[in-house]
Amino acid sequence: MPWSSQNGGGRKSGGGGGPWGQGPSGGPHQPDLEELLKRSQDRLKQVMPGGSGLPGPVLFLIAVVGCALVAFFAFTFRVNPDELGVVVRFGKPVRQEPPGLHFRLPYPIEEVRLPKVTRQNIIEVGFRSGMTSRGFPGGVSDRPEESLMLTGDENIVDVDFVVFWRIRDAQQYLFNIQNPEVTVKEVAESAMREVVGQSNIQPILTEARQKTEQAVQKLMQEVLDTYQAGIRIEEVRLQKVDPPTQVIDAFRDVQAARADRERLQNEAQAYASRVLPEARGEAERILQAARGYKEQTVAEATGQTSRFLKVLEEYKKAPDVTRRRMYLETMERVLGGTDKIIIDGKAGQGVVPFLPLDQLQKRKEGAN
Amino acid sequence: MLRALAAVVVVTLGAIAAAAYFALFVVHVNEQAIVLEFGKPVRIISEPGLYWKIPVVQTVDTFDKRILDLDTAEQEVTAADQKRLKVDAFARYRIVDPLLFYQAVRDERSVRSRLSPVIESALRRVLGSATFTDLVRDKREALMKQIAKQVNDEGKEFGLEVVDVRIKRADLPDQNQKNVFDRMRAERQREAAEFRAEGTGAANRIKANADREVTIIKGDATRDAEQTRGEGDAERNRIFADAFNRDPDFFGFYRSMQAYEQGIKPGDTRMLLSPDSEFFRYFSNPSGNVTGQPKR
Repeated sequence: MPWSSQNGGGRKSGGGGGPWGQGPSGGPHQPDLEELLKRSQDRLKQVMPGGSGLPGPVLFLIAVVGCALVAFFAFTFRVNPDELGVVVRFGKPVRQEPPGLHFRLPYPIEEVRLPKVTRQNIIEVGFRSGMTSRGFPGGVSDRPEESLMLTGDENIVDVDFVVFWRIRDAQQYLFNIQNPEVTVKEVAESAMREVVGQSNIQPILTEARQKTEQAVQKLMQEVLDTYQAGIRIEEVRLQKVDPPTQVIDAFRDVQAARADRERLQNEAQAYASRVLPEARGEAERILQAARGYKEQTVAEATGQTSRFLKVLEEYKKAPDVTRRRMYLETMERVLGGTDKIIIDGKAGQGVVPFLPLDQLQKRKEGAN
Repeated sequence: MLRALAAVVVVTLGAIAAAAYFALFVVHVNEQAIVLEFGKPVRIISEPGLYWKIPVVQTVDTFDKRILDLDTAEQEVTAADQKRLKVDAFARYRIVDPLLFYQAVRDERSVRSRLSPVIESALRRVLGSATFTDLVRDKREALMKQIAKQVNDEGKEFGLEVVDVRIKRADLPDQNQKNVFDRMRAERQREAAEFRAEGTGAANRIKANADREVTIIKGDATRDAEQTRGEGDAERNRIFADAFNRDPDFFGFYRSMQAYEQGIKPGDTRMLLSPDSEFFRYFSNPSGNVTGQPKR
């Protein structure tokens, strides 16, 4: 039982007070002490023959200082900045001390536990990042047996996540549960599977990440609170949420198909945005051509009429002469360029004139 | 004299220390203890503090008071709908009756061998009457509570309180897992095909719309163009009519002259003429008043 550790293999040998931790300078101890010193002096003499022993008062002083040191360590303890000192007196937690140097009664009466309450602890589920305690980033190794889980629609997802937790209540943490790390991890796995099991695969892979994280955090906290573990789950963070490697190609193909769908639509849009302006241009061309035709037509008509009107004006001054002149001029031009056969009606009366039209034609062609 | 006194004091202190060492013991806040007198339990201590016992005659056994772990081995269970599942559960328990625990189990190391079968049979019992989807999705929480309750009932015989039994993992056996993977793959392939078809469909729709619009635009343009042309023609007619109405007779003549000139091209026409037409008025008669008076 605890007593023995002080008297036997205690960290500071001998000198200090009795088991009750009374002052080190009690009168009755002196003979013992003297004897002890004498013995060590003898040993010193053996080591350095001829060396004279130190005078008695000096030895006494050394002894007193030694005892004071031992007492100092027995009666005080140190709490580091990341720790909380929980003082247990005869098994009962009696007080908690912040970082710094504090008084305590020596070992068998009071013990001190120093949980690291400010430290954020990390638990990895589904993978091990291989971050050693020295901080070397090792390779990430996957743990499929932890990370593969069933979804509500009987699919399987590969989920890696980390849990950040902190000690909320040092006393509960120290004295209520046996194995906090293991407990957090098992609760985390259980909670994640429960939450994932209630959802379908698609939301988990895409938009429901945050919801999942929050649900797992809440569930973990509830379970740990029923254990009164004194642990606060600060964050659950999903790292990798993927389809299992066995089917990931099919999932990637879905992504590719989605991209294809976009691409086809974009191409069609591109076609539309090329063809429509072209058509509008074409339409404009047609309209402009029509407008041109209209203007041309009107202009021609105007031209022709104004020519006619000019002629008419002159004609009115001398209608007969003009008319005849125009007739003759026109006929001159018309008849000038055509083949003509003139038949005098009176000369040929009673005779049916024979006109071999095809021969005439040939002759003309031959002439040409 | 002084030395003798000192010796007495030392011996007395030593005796006290020895007595304290053998007679006193501490029960920590996370422990509970039973005091045995030659094997017969005489006291149960559940509060932390400093306690005494009669040395040699009485011995103390301490037990953990914290919540303890028990992780069971993975086991395959068959759900009510004949689907098989690999289930890995863990339990959290504490020793509430140290005496009963001492009698039934003796020490913590033996708990595993005593409690594991209880948990396993409770798992089989409860999960055997639930369906696969109940376990995975719908009633997991309730099923776990049911299991915990059954285990707790049996655990009482060992002086244990089972705080919680949770299903850590409930996965498919490898063969079924492969089937699920196949199904997932097929579903994704179908989805991918659907996406591509949707893409093609949408693209066709967009193109068809564009083509239709093109046709409409061109049609509208043609319509407007024809209208414009018509307007042009109408304008032309109006202009002509305006002008020609001033002297229809002369217009007839004038236009005829133009038409003759346009219509009878040199080289492609052969004419049979009678010399008594107006053109030949002076052909045989220089005075010009024989036959053909010009028609007025």
